[in-house]
Amino acid sequence: MIKLIKISKSFNSQKVLDELDLNIDPEKITVIIGQSGGGKSVLLKHIIGLIRPDSGQIIIDKIDITNLNDKKLNEVRKKFGMLFQDAALFDSMTVGENVAFPLNEHTRLSRKEINKIVNEKLNLVGLENVIHKMPSELSGGMRKRVGLARAIALDPKIVLFDEPTTGLDPIMRESVDELIVATQKRTKATFVIISHDIESTFTIAHKVAMLYQGKIVAVGTPDEIRSSNNSFVKRFIRDLRI
Amino acid sequence: MGIGGFSLSNLSIEAKVGVFVIIGMIILGYMSMRLGKLGFKMDQGFEVKVYFDSASGLEEDVSVEIAGVEVGRVSKILLEDGKALVILRIDSNVKLRKDVKALIKSRGILGDKYVVLIQGSPAAPLIEPNGRIISTTTATDLESLMNVLGDVAKDISRLTQSFANVMGGEKGEASLRSIIDSMKAVAETLNRTVQENNKGLVKIITNLSEFSATINEISSKINKGEGSIGKLINEEDTVKRLNGTLASLKEITEKINRGEGSLGKLINEEETVENINSTLTSINDYMQKQESFRTYLDYRGEYLFDSEEVKSYLTLRIQPREDKYYLLQIVDDPSGVESETDITTTTNGVTTTEHIEKNEKNKIKFSAQIAKRYYDLGLRGGIFESTGGFAFDYYLFKDRLTLSLEAFDFDSDSNAHLKFKADFTPFKHLYITSGFDDFISDKGNESFFIGAGINFLDDDLKTLLSNLPF
Amino acid sequence: MIRFLEFAGRPLVFFIEECGRIMLLLLSTISWMFRPPFRFRVIFKQMEFVGVNSVGVVLITGAFTGMVLALQTYHGFKMFGGESLVGSTLALAMTRELGPVFTALMVTGRVGSAMAAELGTMKVTEQIDALNTMSVNPIQYLVMPRIIAAILMLPVLTIISDFVGIVGGYFVGVNLLKINSGIFIAKIIDIVDLDDIFNGLIKAAFFGLILSLVGCYKGIYTIGGAEGVGRATTQSVVLSSILIFISDYFLTAVMF
Repeated sequence: MIKLIKISKSFNSQKVLDELDLNIDPEKITVIIGQSGGGKSVLLKHIIGLIRPDSGQIIIDKIDITNLNDKKLNEVRKKFGMLFQDAALFDSMTVGENVAFPLNEHTRLSRKEINKIVNEKLNLVGLENVIHKMPSELSGGMRKRVGLARAIALDPKIVLFDEPTTGLDPIMRESVDELIVATQKRTKATFVIISHDIESTFTIAHKVAMLYQGKIVAVGTPDEIRSSNNSFVKRFIRDLRI
Repeated sequence: MGIGGFSLSNLSIEAKVGVFVIIGMIILGYMSMRLGKLGFKMDQGFEVKVYFDSASGLEEDVSVEIAGVEVGRVSKILLEDGKALVILRIDSNVKLRKDVKALIKSRGILGDKYVVLIQGSPAAPLIEPNGRIISTTTATDLESLMNVLGDVAKDISRLTQSFANVMGGEKGEASLRSIIDSMKAVAETLNRTVQENNKGLVKIITNLSEFSATINEISSKINKGEGSIGKLINEEDTVKRLNGTLASLKEITEKINRGEGSLGKLINEEETVENINSTLTSINDYMQKQESFRTYLDYRGEYLFDSEEVKSYLTLRIQPREDKYYLLQIVDDPSGVESETDITTTTNGVTTTEHIEKNEKNKIKFSAQIAKRYYDLGLRGGIFESTGGFAFDYYLFKDRLTLSLEAFDFDSDSNAHLKFKADFTPFKHLYITSGFDDFISDKGNESFFIGAGINFLDDDLKTLLSNLPF
Repeated sequence: MIRFLEFAGRPLVFFIEECGRIMLLLLSTISWMFRPPFRFRVIFKQMEFVGVNSVGVVLITGAFTGMVLALQTYHGFKMFGGESLVGSTLALAMTRELGPVFTALMVTGRVGSAMAAELGTMKVTEQIDALNTMSVNPIQYLVMPRIIAAILMLPVLTIISDFVGIVGGYFVGVNLLKINSGIFIAKIIDIVDLDDIFNGLIKAAFFGLILSLVGCYKGIYTIGGAEGVGRATTQSVVLSSILIFISDYFLTAVMF
């Protein structure tokens, strides 16, 4: 589904990604874990074409997006939904308008049909009666849910998550994790999550990829990673737990 | 910003903006009408001409008044035969008589000029439109009057002052008296001198008379051939000799003409003439061939609005005849070429092969075409951007504007690449271009473009190259 | 010496670089102007924000500018008995300079700063990235409507400002300073040309371009969280104001 081949990227001569290779399987939840500031967000932005690599190739759904122009890239991006760290809701719009935004932009549906989809998606993320509220009136967890509703509004094949559980209390964290798993089951989309939260990673991931010093150092199911005898992986997990 | 918010709050955004813009337009319209220069006045009035010696300070569009009432405006100020021709536009309800008088007056302390008409007698016939007002005066304006008056006053004061210096006081009186006394003495002396020298004067006059008689005599002698100068001029021998010289000159030229002597032979030989003639013909032929055989080097860049990138073309055009040319082109295409490749990757010991659509950026493509022209229509065929294709060119306005339609890349799995462009050449060597590239693309490549190009003829290139410092 | 040159040169280089980036933003805005989709509603929304909602500020500044100008010029002209010129001086000053410039400065303070703050907030909270991921170009969606709205609305605000300025001056001149009302108006009509008004409006449109472009530029290049947004807002007002005054000089030199 998503294939990264020998991706390198430097900012101001500091190497953030170093010939990184990664294969992401379709219709699965893949979690990329790594330390804060370890280039996880940069990696995610490469996948959706917000940042172009210095070298290497990015292949999304059999299309090489490395050198695509903006117009064609926009076509590819319609396969994506993305949930940002702080949800990135448009604060000049109501919750309903936020979820309807991609539908208004990229479909020719009537207002009625759009309203129907908006309600459906909000129900899916467990939110009701907030459709006319402004994002500023919502709690952090609710904003994430709205963000997810917006991300899946166009039924994308791939949904990207930037640190979905950061900044939430443990109870909210658990409910967001449950929501991600449930949503993935419903939509059958490919979920790519970046996180430094080792606990929730092991609960939700089908596959875990470890990012360390610009490279993917280990890939496997949560069980494989957990029971790994590799001392490096062990230390990595211990470090993240702290 | 509470103002405007109370009752407008229920209006839609579009309505609010609309109301706002309309209010602005109304204010603008009102102000324009009050300033009166746009005016809805349909009355164009009629024009009359006036000649002034000077229209100094008069401006177009200043008012024309009768008895202090504005009846029109100055519509034009021209120069005709050293006089100022002022054309007045007069409202059509105003009647001007033939003996109307026109003058330029100035108003106020700043002296703005305007035109005043003074109506003549009611009995006189009317002036027709585009007629002429004959009677004019240029009123002296305040400023120049003041200037002249000032100068006059200065002169007078200087004069009186010197008078006062000379005449004032006893000293002055005494000197005046002595002046008069000495003048008297001078007059007396003069009188005496004339009387005493009477005889001498008579003698001088007699001498002069004799001298002129002598000159007379000399000139008549020359005429008759007497004396040395006379002889030289009048001698028959001199004339004969001169004649002889001229005759021998004539002889030489005749000899050359007849082909005698070496120079004559060279010039008169038939062969020589033929040789020269044929040489000239061949030079001519060569020049002609060179003239129709031209090589152009051309660079053009097209900015594609959709991909925000520049597509560049470097073209060599070889044109052996006016109506035919060959074209070789290198194209740098930023949208690149799409290719499909198989990528094989090995992860965790499992080898997978995937079929990938790939986009190679900045791919260089080649074109090679043959073109033929029939009157204003050109046909092109051959290789277009590394695929087969053809094109039509239509030449307009002495080839300054070229409209082209190109069709190529007839791949079975996607739409053909169609391109429409218009090239306009405002200056030699430089042209601008605009059009629509790949407008039936099914891959999202369609894009409007604008661009520019530069081209050189081989001669221009030669000049350019020979001027390079190596 | 070299260090001094470096010290003096750095801000200049920075200023020139910044102007260059602003021009690039303008170019890309222009190129996005002709591409579908055309979101007229977004443009109208901005027109409301820039134009309709600025009317109050512009009315007040315009009226008081006219009034104070009448008061000041009156005392000057009175010295040589030229009170009748108050009206025309006022009208010329309003239409040519004060109307466009003061309107632009007020709108910079109200709208240009808001643009920088709004886009800056969107930048630091990743809303602009979100637009990109949803295949909506931020320049086309955010920058272009603001610039179009400002270019269209500034002349309308300016003509309103011109008018209330002259009306305010008329009120002071005729009712308080007892200048003859007929002469006051006649002199305006006599001396002010239609070109004065239109050139003033062209200036206003240009100022609209400057303040919106700078506001958007500072907004979308904001870095550094809430603090960065504050900095961007201040910088946008300062830079816009400077550019408005500089361009005013050159526009005046070209036009009049």
